[in-house]
Amino acid sequence: MTSFAEMRRRQLLLTGAALGAGLAAVAVPFPARAQISTIAEPQPDDAESDRLAAQFLDGQQPVNEGLVLELPALGDNPAAVPLRVHVTEAMTGDSFCEEIIVLASRNPLPLACRFRFTPMTGSADVAVRVRLIQSMKLRALARMSDGRVLQAKGEITVAAGGCGM
Amino acid sequence: MSTTPPRIWISNETPAQGEVVRIRAQIVHPMETGFRIDAAGQPMPENLLQGFQAHLDDDLLMEWQPETAISQNPYIEFTFAARRSGALRMVWTDQSGDIATVTREITVGG
Repeated sequence: MTSFAEMRRRQLLLTGAALGAGLAAVAVPFPARAQISTIAEPQPDDAESDRLAAQFLDGQQPVNEGLVLELPALGDNPAAVPLRVHVTEAMTGDSFCEEIIVLASRNPLPLACRFRFTPMTGSADVAVRVRLIQSMKLRALARMSDGRVLQAKGEITVAAGGCGM
Repeated sequence: MSTTPPRIWISNETPAQGEVVRIRAQIVHPMETGFRIDAAGQPMPENLLQGFQAHLDDDLLMEWQPETAISQNPYIEFTFAARRSGALRMVWTDQSGDIATVTREITVGG
């Protein structure tokens, strides 16, 4: 059976925990943070992403093999969606990947990032984390040293916009 | 800028000749997009990581240009084929200039 002394000790512990939580809330400027807003707007369509892709392709027809874009099925944290892009073919001094871009079609700025490689790299396999403002299509394009452009596409559902974070 | 050093993980610092070495690196950085408005209604100035480069001695291995879409505390993972020993030097640059450099010795074994 629980003694009164024990019950009182528990009550004190609970009060202490609540006070601690209260102090923590004061220390972190939550009221100010709550009012931070964003002017970021998603792209209304894929036009800007397509324009960037066409610029990268520079008249080439993309090859839909040899490049892999890995995305989770669901972006549970839209402020940090892990993605990986890799070229599957072997890199040699004569044939290597020069540049990769990742396009997030509906983000306010669809160009998510760019990678450049050299004959020294000997591999083209990268992973980053991106913010996505809504569910959208993603596309990776890789330019090879022989002029081919490899393409990989993906689509992701995210829980909520991550660009304002 | 934060004084927290970048966190680095290297799959193998003593790889075999030609072995593909994988690097994971993360730096503390706010990646402020310039899209946000603070509580006083003022735009929060853009502050983005602009570049990451990895060199083996003086040879460029890879270069990354993060844009607005890259998450806070940017994480980068890349690979390279270890063909010779050398100093793997990684440099992060943001709008205020070079903000962090990490160097690790890579020794290619037999």
